[in-house]
Amino acid sequence: MNVFHGAVLGTVLQVMIQILKDMGITEYEPRVINQMLEFTYRYVTTIIEDAKIYATHAKKSTVDADDIKLAIQCRMDQSFTSPPPRDFLLEVARQKNQTPLPLIKPYCGPRLPPDRYCLTAPNYRLKSIQKKVSVSSAGRISVPRLSVGAVSSRPTTPTLGTPSAAKAGAPVSLTGQRFTVQIPPSSQTTVSKSTTPSTPAVSNVLINPSLIGSKNILITTNMVSQSAATDSLKRKHEDDDDYDAL
Amino acid sequence: MAAVQGGMVDEKEEVDIKTEPQSDGFVNTNATDGRQLSPSPGSSSSAGSSKTAAGAPEDQQTLLAVLQFLRKNKLTESVEILRREAGLPEDALDSKGVDCGAPGSGGSAGGVDGLDAGSLLSRVTVSSSAGTPAPTKAVADDQPDVSVVLSAYSQQGDPALYKVYYSDLKKFIESVLDCHRAELSQVFYPLFVHMYLELVYNNHESEAKAFFQKFSGDQECYYEDDLRVLSSLTKKEHMRGNETLLDFRTSKFVLRISRDSYQLLKRHLQERQNNQIWNIIQEHLYIDIFDGMPRSKSQIDAMSGSLAGEAKREANKAKVYYGLLKEPEIELPLDDEDEEAENEEGKPKKKKPKKDSMGSKSKKQDPNAPSQNRIPLPELKDSDKLDKIMYMKEATKRIRLGPENLPSICFYTFLNAYQGLTAVDFTDDSSLIAGGFADSTVRVWSVTPKKLRKVKSAADLNLIDKESDDVLERIMDEKTASESKVLYGHSGPVYGISFSPDRNYLLSSSEDGTVRLWSLLTFTCLVGYKGHNYPVWDTQFSPYGYYFVSGGHDRVARLWATDHYQPLRIFAGHLADVTCTRFHPNSNYVATGSSDRTIRLWDVLTGNCVRIFTGHKGPIHTLAFSPNGKFLASGATDGRVLLWDIGHGLMVSELKGHTDTIYALRFSRDGEILASGSMDNTVRLWNAAKAFDDLETDDFTAATGHIHLQDNSPELLLGTYMSKSTPVIHLHFTRRNLLLAAGSYAA
Repeated sequence: MNVFHGAVLGTVLQVMIQILKDMGITEYEPRVINQMLEFTYRYVTTIIEDAKIYATHAKKSTVDADDIKLAIQCRMDQSFTSPPPRDFLLEVARQKNQTPLPLIKPYCGPRLPPDRYCLTAPNYRLKSIQKKVSVSSAGRISVPRLSVGAVSSRPTTPTLGTPSAAKAGAPVSLTGQRFTVQIPPSSQTTVSKSTTPSTPAVSNVLINPSLIGSKNILITTNMVSQSAATDSLKRKHEDDDDYDAL
Repeated sequence: MAAVQGGMVDEKEEVDIKTEPQSDGFVNTNATDGRQLSPSPGSSSSAGSSKTAAGAPEDQQTLLAVLQFLRKNKLTESVEILRREAGLPEDALDSKGVDCGAPGSGGSAGGVDGLDAGSLLSRVTVSSSAGTPAPTKAVADDQPDVSVVLSAYSQQGDPALYKVYYSDLKKFIESVLDCHRAELSQVFYPLFVHMYLELVYNNHESEAKAFFQKFSGDQECYYEDDLRVLSSLTKKEHMRGNETLLDFRTSKFVLRISRDSYQLLKRHLQERQNNQIWNIIQEHLYIDIFDGMPRSKSQIDAMSGSLAGEAKREANKAKVYYGLLKEPEIELPLDDEDEEAENEEGKPKKKKPKKDSMGSKSKKQDPNAPSQNRIPLPELKDSDKLDKIMYMKEATKRIRLGPENLPSICFYTFLNAYQGLTAVDFTDDSSLIAGGFADSTVRVWSVTPKKLRKVKSAADLNLIDKESDDVLERIMDEKTASESKVLYGHSGPVYGISFSPDRNYLLSSSEDGTVRLWSLLTFTCLVGYKGHNYPVWDTQFSPYGYYFVSGGHDRVARLWATDHYQPLRIFAGHLADVTCTRFHPNSNYVATGSSDRTIRLWDVLTGNCVRIFTGHKGPIHTLAFSPNGKFLASGATDGRVLLWDIGHGLMVSELKGHTDTIYALRFSRDGEILASGSMDNTVRLWNAAKAFDDLETDDFTAATGHIHLQDNSPELLLGTYMSKSTPVIHLHFTRRNLLLAAGSYAA
């Protein structure tokens, strides 16, 4: 048993053990006493600190019983809330039970609440990019086989060469905006099976900004068949976001 | 506004807590009426007058009391206004039938003389309504009237005399005839608690402690836990925030006493000069009088023990449709049926549905069964029909159990569950086990060699052939196959787990106050149902899916549907936490067991409580409905299993044997055997068929609720099976009547 130092704590321990016995608890792990001691210490100091604050607020020089009582009451309402009173529950129940049970729609698939109340949405959101951007020379990325352009889910062909600012869509600015980089699917040909790049599934990946300074870069890839990393729902939402950003 | 007594000032804060006056639908004591008026006794009398619509005697009394108060404080204009608006006659001021039931204050002993016997009885009989407010006295000592009416626990007399009153009553009851003594002794406990609480409430700490010291030892042993809690309550501030205690104060403790015993008591108490005890009895106790033989001590002991006394007889009189719903007709593909089916004369095989496993083939409606569309139920999908066919096939291979043919027990021990196993569930076909743990995870295992797989991602799903026969296997992703899966999401220990009947969903309820719905196809969390803001102790899917019920620390049980984010029904009425929630096999009723030692049966359609079962002496942790829907079994911390007849609302039998809390109860598939598992590391099998067989429910029993329990537990016990220090927390009969048990090894 971990015992704190100090002889005075020996008596407090005895008090704790006696409390447990009085409340009729006979079986407990030895660590419970330590936990109770910690709790008591923390609770009492919180109350006394609160009481001191109330006393100074009331411009009293010493803390007296009323301050302590007030501190206890406030803490009770805050940390140790109790369930609502019975008549309130009965009233709420009466109202709720008056509405008839809703009819069940047939042929529904999984019966779930509206999407807002489910946990099935992706828990991240894509940042939108600005429309007006201007590119300076520093903004050019001389990475071969990369092109800078708007976030688009319909990349036509991979473009080689230097990034050009006059790409249809969104010229990119320096100020921390996002660049879309299109990686042609040639590197992924082993994976892809389909032959229709017109509806590619994009996966947005944030690459390490430190690589390219302070700019965010978004890589959209033409990937038709994706490994199980992203699941279908997420992909759909990514498409939506992409369209929104345009 | 001058406070007349100390009691009034305290009342004000009570009133502020209460939201709005509620006049119907729940226990309405006189004091509550008074409290509604107290915000404005002196000021806007119109508020008080608005309550007099019915002119009920109690309201009249409070009005008159208010009038008196105004008069006394010389607020003559208010007096006029109140009198005018309330329509009170001029002379009403003088006749003060205030004391009709309201506790008279100390010293107003004169109130006894003029008290009308009729007015007293009117407080106490079942049909308690208008006894005429007898203009009892015009005694000058009217000063406590308002506060008397307005506070629940005004001074009942000199606190030092409480001991005297109580010991007087004790002496009287001990001197009474044997046959009445047992019944009258029921009065001791509620009286003791209320008197003690009154002393505490009025800040007589030392007298309260002395009172407790002297008389707590006399109480029944099964109230020990309550008394221990009470002993730590010595100041009024301690009473705040303890909802159970507050409920106890405001609700009436119900006692069932025969008319003869009651007359004795009444006569004795009315003879005396100061009958404070009588006042307390009238205010805090509800005495349900019946005509007939007084009950014996054992009969009383069997039914008492709950926090609110016993159940009133009307509470158990509503009709309950306990029959089962008719199973839909399903054509069995008889290709691999048993041979005997094929031997029937050359009828086309498809036209022969299986008879016995589908319920009755009769077209008549079972009078005790609810109609099919009493509550909306989801329709059967093709997969459900396939499940049903599997079920019927398994049912044919089911072992018939009986006293000579006990089931084999297969125990699933969770080894090394350092996470703390807190809840277990099996699917109906026993193919999956789910465990809820104290580290807030939920784990699902496959019991069969078939592994658990996730559904493929959408892109992959596009590629498979949707028309193929084994499309259900093709949608599964082989790469994710594993023996078990872990589900993360809760932020507190998981206390309740339930599989859906179609094995697509899993519910889990946790200390964080939410109930989560998990998909067993993708093994992710779909919905979190927030409503209880306090630990949810139990949850269960309905036998037909779609609905589920949850019960928690906030003393209510809630009925949800998977596609509504808010509950559909709230079952409020228990005085303490709801620890166990179970659906009836026909999904029209929900049974809840609670820490207040009662079991309540609720109607899903209306949300009303249709049955209250008292008798357990400890919090109830498990419930089980019999497969035919007629009976309910319950297990609690007192180690007893009680069997209840739902139709009549009576206790059928008491099964003694376990020595520790019972956490698991399950009927076998035909209802022949009841299995119970407990913390004492044993599984016991009981002969349920025999217990229900010799039921004689005659009119007298049904009318009065008296039961004659036979002490035949040893005969009904068919076997005790011990595990090696593994408490049993879940039991499940497979479709072929093999008993599965689960627990976590406690080294």
